[in-house]
Amino acid sequence: MMNFSSIQKLDNLLLVSVPRDLVDDEVIQLRRDVLNAIRQYKSQIILLDFSRVDICDSFFGRFIYGTSQMTRLMGAKVIISGLQDAVIETMVELGMTLPDVDAVLDLDDALALSRSLRSAAVPPLAAGQDDDE
Amino acid sequence: MSQPPERYPLHLWIVEENHPLVAAWQARMLARRLHFSLADQTALATAVLEVARNIVRYAGRGEVIIRPYDDGVEVVARDAGPGIASVELALTDGYSTGHSLGLGLPGAKRLMSTFEIETAPGAGTLITMRKFPRAR
Ligand SMILES: Nc1ncnc2c1ncn2[C@@H]1O[C@H](COP(=O)(O)OP(=O)(O)OP(=O)(O)O)[C@@H](O)[C@H]1O
Ligand SMILES: [Mg+2]
Repeated sequence: MMNFSSIQKLDNLLLVSVPRDLVDDEVIQLRRDVLNAIRQYKSQIILLDFSRVDICDSFFGRFIYGTSQMTRLMGAKVIISGLQDAVIETMVELGMTLPDVDAVLDLDDALALSRSLRSAAVPPLAAGQDDDE
Repeated sequence: MSQPPERYPLHLWIVEENHPLVAAWQARMLARRLHFSLADQTALATAVLEVARNIVRYAGRGEVIIRPYDDGVEVVARDAGPGIASVELALTDGYSTGHSLGLGLPGAKRLMSTFEIETAPGAGTLITMRKFPRAR
């Protein structure tokens, strides 16, 4: 059985449920779907939800990194959420610290962040750039 | 609950793209049987995934062998692919000939308790690594 990811619009977030297992073709398809959805919904925040993922190797790291770069070029921002404790521990040991990618603990925090962003009414491009400093 | 010990060593062909995921899962299953902590299970499974994905990407095909070793798990990953010209470089964070993050091998080495690599250009690659549960 294939492990399909789902993309849902939630407030001005795009919630992407990352599948447990990822292989090359699926990464490419998932990225395309994310970009299409950003365009369609004009989402500013792309929330990659990792709560289904119990192994995060460098391949996932490349996926997160690549998706965040592409998303930034569209004036939006990737945030990751739902990482399990054991996965976080392993990622750090692996050396995968993803310095340019922000994380939140769970969906609640992501929604709060999304609302604060919207009330600040930051234009999408500025929102993508101001995380540089 | 516990499976017959003659199940091991487990030989797994690494040929298709999803095979590394199977190998990682099998390693986790053995670690769980040996009462590894969740963190140790995850570390082991991630290291297996790294070396097995390298087999698919750089050698095309190969094999992963998983077995109990003392109170830990031994994993052998081998292929008859192009081999690695400089092990020192390959074990350096950020070094990649595949336009990737270059974290796989150095990361796997950090995640495991022991890590040995035997390789030469044209002679394939043999990695032997072991994980022993950390004291909790
Ligand atoms: N089984 C193998 N056969 C031949 N070369 C290999 C093999 N495994 C690794 N290498 C070489 O060693 C380099 C480093 O491997 P490593 O897994 O650390 O990084 P990567 O695969 O390039 O990137 P990442 O694992 O972060 O996605 C590779 O780029 C490749 O040149
Ligand atoms: Mg690799």
